[in-house]
Amino acid sequence: MSGGLNIYVLVKQVPDTGSKAGLNPDGTIDRAKAKRMLNPFDRFALQAALHAKRSYGGKVTAISMGPPPAVEILLECLEHGVDEAYLLSDRRLAASDTLATAYALHKVLNYIGKPDLIFCGLQTTDGDTAQVGPQIAERLGLPQVTYCEDFHMEDGKVHARRIIEGGYQKVVAETPLLITVANSYHPLEYKSFRGAWRVRRLARDQDELKKFIHTIDLDLVSADPERTGLKGSPTIVAATEKVGELGGSCKMHEGQSAHELVADVLKASDLNQFLVGSSK
Amino acid sequence: MSEQPDVSAFCPKGDVLVIAEQILGDLQPVTLELLGAGRLLADKMERNLKCLVLGYNLGDMPQKLIEAGADEVFVADDKELFSYRTLPYRRVVVDFLDSLPEPPHTCLLGSTTTGRDLAPRISAHFETGLTADCTELDIGPYEHKNKVDPSKIGLYPNCLYAIRPSFGESLKARILGPWKNPQMATTRPGVMTPNKHEAGRKGKITAIPVKLIPEDHRLIVADTVREISKGIKLTEADVIIGGGYGLGSADGFDLLRQLADTFENSAIGASRKVVDLGWIPYQHQVGQTGKTVRPKLYIACGISGAIQHRVGMSKSGMIIAINKDPDSPIFKFAHHGIVGDIYQIVPEMIKQFKEIQSGKGVEAVVGSH
Repeated sequence: MSGGLNIYVLVKQVPDTGSKAGLNPDGTIDRAKAKRMLNPFDRFALQAALHAKRSYGGKVTAISMGPPPAVEILLECLEHGVDEAYLLSDRRLAASDTLATAYALHKVLNYIGKPDLIFCGLQTTDGDTAQVGPQIAERLGLPQVTYCEDFHMEDGKVHARRIIEGGYQKVVAETPLLITVANSYHPLEYKSFRGAWRVRRLARDQDELKKFIHTIDLDLVSADPERTGLKGSPTIVAATEKVGELGGSCKMHEGQSAHELVADVLKASDLNQFLVGSSK
Repeated sequence: MSEQPDVSAFCPKGDVLVIAEQILGDLQPVTLELLGAGRLLADKMERNLKCLVLGYNLGDMPQKLIEAGADEVFVADDKELFSYRTLPYRRVVVDFLDSLPEPPHTCLLGSTTTGRDLAPRISAHFETGLTADCTELDIGPYEHKNKVDPSKIGLYPNCLYAIRPSFGESLKARILGPWKNPQMATTRPGVMTPNKHEAGRKGKITAIPVKLIPEDHRLIVADTVREISKGIKLTEADVIIGGGYGLGSADGFDLLRQLADTFENSAIGASRKVVDLGWIPYQHQVGQTGKTVRPKLYIACGISGAIQHRVGMSKSGMIIAINKDPDSPIFKFAHHGIVGDIYQIVPEMIKQFKEIQSGKGVEAVVGSH
């Protein structure tokens, strides 16, 4: 195929904190039992990548890094219309921090081919750093648009709108470009019945599936194992401590009616000092 | 006494550097907070607190930064730096750090749309550790024993402790990376305490060169718009009315806006779920993946109070929670709780608050004792 855009979307499988399964009574996560899901932020990146393909032509490739079960989210990406997927899975990646993760993923991008557009979620719900996208852009020497909430292409350039504190920036960028997509972008559309059916059929035949989801390792992408995992990570988690008890005792208000309840709160709190016109 | 490993190589001097943030010449509050946090770190190590500010026609901003606690301010003032752009800002910061005889010990940025855009580029360039969204910073010792990488084993006396809530868990993680300077961190706006303003405080101001290359202009800013009038300044509001899934629909926020209007300097917050559902824009999101706020009063309407939301608002002065479900976690940490229907309670609140404002309600409240 010639002329089309080479579009990549980077996705991650994270524990599902919305589900009660795998949640210990104290609020910590039992990662073995926890359900897994596509990082919610990545759904916006996926939508953006598919939108770029539909509007401007090309091919969307999803890339993930993680243990073998992460294939599940790549299947989900295929169901939504992604053309092909790669899973970088290698024991030597364990305990990688953001810098080591970005190193490994930029090697995958270099291995697969020349990107025009790389979409990432704003951040993940488990790491919550928003660092990997920009760190990949740095490794690849690319410009970036973070917090992107809308974009279109004109004369081969990307016109994007990005959130800033109390407003927004409108930017025009050359490709290749890395974009991290904000939650205020369009939500992921429902998967088409045909797409989902095609993938379900694919998934029944492992050999057929391997043509669409490639599981690769560090050696294949010529990544230096010394620069990944614990060794390649400049940061470590040195200690964790329990967050202290919060708030304290909640006074539960009682009353027969909404009127009584609100009156009771007003009586017990001094919130009226914050009302309009109450400041000295 | 046990033999201590030689740590001199791991303990380079280096100062504490804060990278300031301004939008269209408007110094961002997080910079003052960073100077507060940075001052404590620098004093603890007996180092200097330095600040780098980038922009155009910055005027007296460098002096303001000194009055806010910086010992020395480096200024990159250039037309090309008027609006924040990743590549030009990155170039100036990288060149500046390269020009120093030794890298700073610590480098701090705000965990804002700018700081979170720039900091990872700097950290990836220098291959140094970066911890996002810290809620506490400190300096302390660390002994590394893990044998996976023997070159790292040793006792490190002055490490940056970058402390942040750990995902979905009621834990705080202390993250550090003393092996390479600068040790980098971004901090959440609204969390650190600024220094007391010291008018006329003296410090050194040094202009630094700005040398961009054509590749730095692969992205241009067509427009920067600040929606001041819309006033979604969540982190600066005294009162926040937060809405959650219990509202039932996006229309619920109309009711919350009416409630917010009865308060001075108020804003609307939201849980992630309703932002994801598109009921309200992302800018309103409070919590782990949104903003951290500490208003004087937070009224949580239909918010269950999951940890992801709690970490963003639990430091509020007073929390009033309204929820249908008496077992909602929010009642574990709110100060006042009402079990009930938002659509009955909130209109009643608006009614009684308006009565107080018009003078009628005061008696009613006092009289009901």
